[in-house]
Formats: sequence, structure tokens, C-alpha cells
Amino acid sequence: MNARRGKPEKAVNGSKAVAVLRLYVAGDAPNSVQAVLNIEAICRDDLGGACDLEIIDVLQHPQRAMAAGVVVTPTLNKDYPLPTAQVVGNLSDKLRVLLAIGIRSPEND
Amino acid sequence: MIDGSLSHALEHVQSELLDKRLSGVLQRLIRGGPEQQAIEAGEIDAIIDYSDSNVILFPAARNALRTVAPGESGREPVANSLLAALTQQEYQRLAPSLESVTLPAEAVLHEPGEPIRFVFFPIDCVISLLPPTVGRRTLEVGLVGFDGMVGTSLALGVNVSSLRARVQIGGTALRVPQARFLSALQESQTLRHELNLYIYAELAAARQTAVCSSFHLIEQRVASRLLMTSARLRSDKFFVIQESLARVLGVRRESITQAAGELQRRRLITYSRGNLRILNRQGLEAASCRCY
Repeated sequence: MNARRGKPEKAVNGSKAVAVLRLYVAGDAPNSVQAVLNIEAICRDDLGGACDLEIIDVLQHPQRAMAAGVVVTPTLNKDYPLPTAQVVGNLSDKLRVLLAIGIRSPEND
Repeated sequence: MIDGSLSHALEHVQSELLDKRLSGVLQRLIRGGPEQQAIEAGEIDAIIDYSDSNVILFPAARNALRTVAPGESGREPVANSLLAALTQQEYQRLAPSLESVTLPAEAVLHEPGEPIRFVFFPIDCVISLLPPTVGRRTLEVGLVGFDGMVGTSLALGVNVSSLRARVQIGGTALRVPQARFLSALQESQTLRHELNLYIYAELAAARQTAVCSSFHLIEQRVASRLLMTSARLRSDKFFVIQESLARVLGVRRESITQAAGELQRRRLITYSRGNLRILNRQGLEAASCRCY
């Protein structure tokens, strides 16, 4: 987690990202670590790596979190595609994350 | 002032203050909203207080960050408590600016009214904080060791010292230039938080000194001062001359000779040519006024 903190994970082979995600975490706190692992697995397994993921540590950058309307951590913001969406918690509910990202519709499940 | 029992008490106060603050922020959340649901599910580590841009950690995250971060980083144990409380990232950012310096006994780090050029994080030295007085006699209002920092007024926005900071027992400290310290303070919420608590403890100790110097017997005060020094140094043996003790306690040298003689007679300490050793800590605590 620390290697990628604050740096965007670019889409594989320069292909267009299907989602632009920002995950707001509190350092290496347990739920934050869990959320990073979960979103990385989703990016890899469900988005085929085609996501632009940025992990932001609110302990280092509280202003960025406030500018994005984040109240608690972990919080995942989906900034693209529109409409934007937000998921709070450790992202262990994969279906909820996929619905928020918009790659699965509620009718299909 | 922060010996074992007091540091536990301070930790407790800190935890209670944070919990109170946390519950205040929690009350502002939308009832039944996604944040509240996630908190109830135990999936949240921290909440942001928009009123002052602070991040408040939940107790579990607080504990985890304190215990996990240093181990994961593989970082060397830091011998100053304030620096040890920093997260791995915060410490790594500050580390290049930390300069190890040897401070000889009697060296003056700050004079009252002078700008603070460096802050000092003691490792195995002890520094007295002395307000300006007339003549030779003075009164110590703070004693800084491995658990503290010299130059705390910077954290309150004042870059001029109101006290003389004089090395009481020589040793090693880490120093940071004023400007770098101020930027670290901006960057690190942990440092701000730890310093707030430390400054609170310093203030409480100074208030206690007022009571102690007015109401307690010299022998009790000497016992307290020896225990305080021992706690700051993490050692039962140290070098302290009678003149120096008399100066910081604001009493005559003869009074120190008499008090130290009585503590020796009761086999609580040995004291010869400045070499002091605590023989019976419990006994010395009982003989002290416990103002430390």
C-alpha cells in the first residue's frame, strides 16, 4: 500500500481507464489496509486493470479529502465515468463497489 | 513531570479527550446515512472534523497505528517519545533535518527574549527551564528529558523563548532548525497532537511547581526532583552537584546538603562528589511530595 500511496495506478498498456477512482485512507489503519487490498483486487479482477486508482492518505492530506467531500475513511470516490459515486467502509462488499463504479447494474443481480 | 504513573494518566486523558471529540463529531453525521452505517459495522478508521481540518482516529485505528507502523517500517527505535509517536511517513520526512548534537552540562540553549533558532529533542540529557529572575537564585519550572522537547512555544506561534533552557545533565539530543520544525508541524497531525499534550503537561508541571515551592519541605522537594531527573534519564544513577540542585529549587546550598544527608541516612540514596544513585525508589517516592 505504501508504494502506491498518492500515486495513480495507470490503466494497463495505456488503454483507456474504465474508472477513475480515489480511495481516501488513514495511514495503515486496519480498515484502510483492507480497503486498499479490496479495491486493488477489484481493479485487477473485475476491471482488467483498466482503472486509474489514486490512494490518498488523509493523515497527510486532510485538505484534499475535505475538498472531495470525504467525511470518514476509508472512502472510495468514483470520479469517472459520471455520475460520481461514493462508497464508505473497507470495501469488503464487492457488489456494492461494483454497482458504485457502474460496471454492474442492480437489475442484473 | 511525565514519569511512569503520570504518562499513563496522560495517555488516559489523551484517550478520553479524543473519544469526547470523536463523539462530538459523530453527532453531526446524518442519522442512518452511509457513514453511520459503516461506523456501526466497524469499517471506519477515522473521521474528519471539518471545523478545524483535523482527522480523528477511532480507538482501534489509533492503537493499530501506534503499534504497527514502526514494526512495518523496520525503522530504528527512536529514543525520544515525541519523535517515536510520529507515523513512519512523518518521521521519514523529518529525519533528514534531525541533527544529533552533544550538549554539555550548563550549556544554555535559549535565553529569555531571544529567538528560538533550534528545537531540541533530548535523548539522554536533561534540560532545565528557568524563568528570568534577579540575581543568582532562580526556580526551575520545567525539566525536559527524552519524553519532551525544548522550544515548545514555537508550536504556539511564538518564536521567542520566555525561559532560559539550560542543560542540567549533559548528553545527546536531536535538534531541528526552527523553520523545518514549523513546516513539520504543518505537515504532521501526530506531531501537533503530541505536542499539544506535552505542552499541557508542561503547563501542569509549572503550576505544580508554584504549589510545591510554596508549601512543601525542602527534603520532599529534593526527593521529587531526584525522582523526576531519574525518570527523564531512565537511569537510577546520574551526576548532579549540590549547587546546581540548590539553584533550580531556589534554595540555599546548605539546605540541599542537609536534605541529601537525611535521604542518605535513610538509605534511600547514595551521594558522593555529585555522583547520585537511587537505592530505594519506593522509599524515595514516599519521602517525596510527589510533585512530578
